[in-house]
Amino acid sequence: MNPLKLIAAFIGRKPLTWSFHVLTLALGVGVVTSLLLLDRALEDRFTKDLGGVDLVVGAKGSPLQLILSSLFEIDVPTGNIKLSTAQMLAANHMVKASAPVSLGDNVRTVRIVGTTPAYADLYDARLESGRWWDQPMQVVLGAQAARQLGMTVGSTFVGQHGLSPGGEFHSQFPYRVVGVLKPTGAVIDRLALTDTASVWRVHEHEAAEEAQEQGVAKPGAGAGDREVTALLIRFRSPMGALMMPRLVRATPDLQAAVPAIEVARLTQLLGAGSQVLRGFGIGLLALSALGFFVALFAAVNQRQRELALLRTLGARPRLLLGLVAGEGLFLGLLGGVLGIALGRAAAVFAAHVTSGSGGPPLTPPPIGALELYALAAALAVALIASLLPGLVAYRLDPAQSLKAG
Amino acid sequence: MLRVEGLTAGYRRKPVARLEILTVANREAALLLGPSGSGKTTLLLALAGLAKRFDGSIDLDGVDPSGLRGAARDRFRGSRIGIVFQDLHLIAGLSTLDNLLLAPFAARQPQDSKRATALLEELGLGPQIRQRAETLSRGQAQRAAIARAMLLRPRLILADEPTASLDDEACHTVGLLLARAARETDAALVIATHDLRLKAMFPTTVQAEALA
Repeated sequence: MNPLKLIAAFIGRKPLTWSFHVLTLALGVGVVTSLLLLDRALEDRFTKDLGGVDLVVGAKGSPLQLILSSLFEIDVPTGNIKLSTAQMLAANHMVKASAPVSLGDNVRTVRIVGTTPAYADLYDARLESGRWWDQPMQVVLGAQAARQLGMTVGSTFVGQHGLSPGGEFHSQFPYRVVGVLKPTGAVIDRLALTDTASVWRVHEHEAAEEAQEQGVAKPGAGAGDREVTALLIRFRSPMGALMMPRLVRATPDLQAAVPAIEVARLTQLLGAGSQVLRGFGIGLLALSALGFFVALFAAVNQRQRELALLRTLGARPRLLLGLVAGEGLFLGLLGGVLGIALGRAAAVFAAHVTSGSGGPPLTPPPIGALELYALAAALAVALIASLLPGLVAYRLDPAQSLKAG
Repeated sequence: MLRVEGLTAGYRRKPVARLEILTVANREAALLLGPSGSGKTTLLLALAGLAKRFDGSIDLDGVDPSGLRGAARDRFRGSRIGIVFQDLHLIAGLSTLDNLLLAPFAARQPQDSKRATALLEELGLGPQIRQRAETLSRGQAQRAAIARAMLLRPRLILADEPTASLDDEACHTVGLLLARAARETDAALVIATHDLRLKAMFPTTVQAEALA
């Protein structure tokens, strides 16, 4: 005979009631932990993808869109900027490192990014195999892109216009893979990198064709008016963060976006929704605490005579208190563990859905302190709920209960 | 050996019943008689240290259970007094054996499952040892409760209306079982009852007086 057997016997009488309360608790714990997991995953994703970029310069439009499109590679670009402008900014003495970004095509949803090898330096990406390009139409694939496309050094493919499937194929301009990068965990893993000139070549041809069709020479389609989508900049010192945006603002049709500020804004925007959900989760936790309390209270009342019997057998009041608290904690533990499993499953599922619908790929952090806190919270809920019923059991007068029967 | 003199028992501030004088030697039995509502149960609970003693004295082998405090009283009751109720016998969801072992568990005594098994077999409950308590008949449950009252070799066995609503044969069997329990454990036995059928089996009687 031990306390656990007794607790199990008590719980076993009302399996449905207790299943319901454990499930409520698990849902509360699950909602809160899944949100925290996703928050962490998103923060982690943004931190990695920032790659130490201090400023993004691109065409006028929403600064958030500029960051999302050119840095995180999840939105469409705001437009293009002149190559000469980008070169002018890159040459500024406050700029420590910079990389141009030219978007336009994709290969089976993997974005083809025209840039320079300096882009890889922003993310400390190293070659796994092959080499960097030495002429246009050669491509270096990110680790995940290579896996997703099933391509290695020597593979060839044609780009498709636009950033999502359904565009026109640029069949006359096949790309050849010359290198594959090691995984970094950052956005570069998901891209196909090529020389900026490749993007020009593919699209100038298109422009020329269009011009021919219309029978007019498109003005400004020459080499002097080449464009890039954006320029990613890392500063030499914090001074740059003060000076450069002013310089950009003075140039027409140009905007500068600070990734740190835009990420903060984005998290705030998302935060509103997740706060509502979090409130809902905390509400569920409070509700389950109340449910536990009511159920335990009713159980103690129903068991009065049995508890009195235990007292006649020599049990101290402390044992009765312990039995009620033990019952609450056992159910709390069950709800906590179930909730953590539910929360993780929900987070993984949400991450899957997000990345499937064009959002950033998210990886929930490994099991750790967060789960421990969630378990502690579930146990605390159960313990608080069992205190008063436990006290009632503690103060039970066996003589009164026995006479009442 | 139980000696009671001028016992007034009740709850909180209210005395409920009085018992003039009662002496029961080990292995012997006495009936505590009185009509319903005369306070028999209260007097019995006072002997077990569960109801309040306002006046008089209780002496069980030199100890007054109602004079002990808190945990000491609980422990004394658990290890020295066995109690059998009218219909509150076992805890559902536990096996018959575990219901017996509840006694040493609650009283923090070593759990001797060999003795518990032997007692159950002796009382004809061998086949029910591993069965859940709720599957036992009322009579079987009461026998198990008697076995539990014997388990820790108490000095005193108390029974509260053990034969109420039993037929004559069952009443006789329960009376024999209780007498045997007292003999085998060398304990004094007090049965609170208004069942006159038991008078034939236990000649020593004492009257409970209700206090208005």
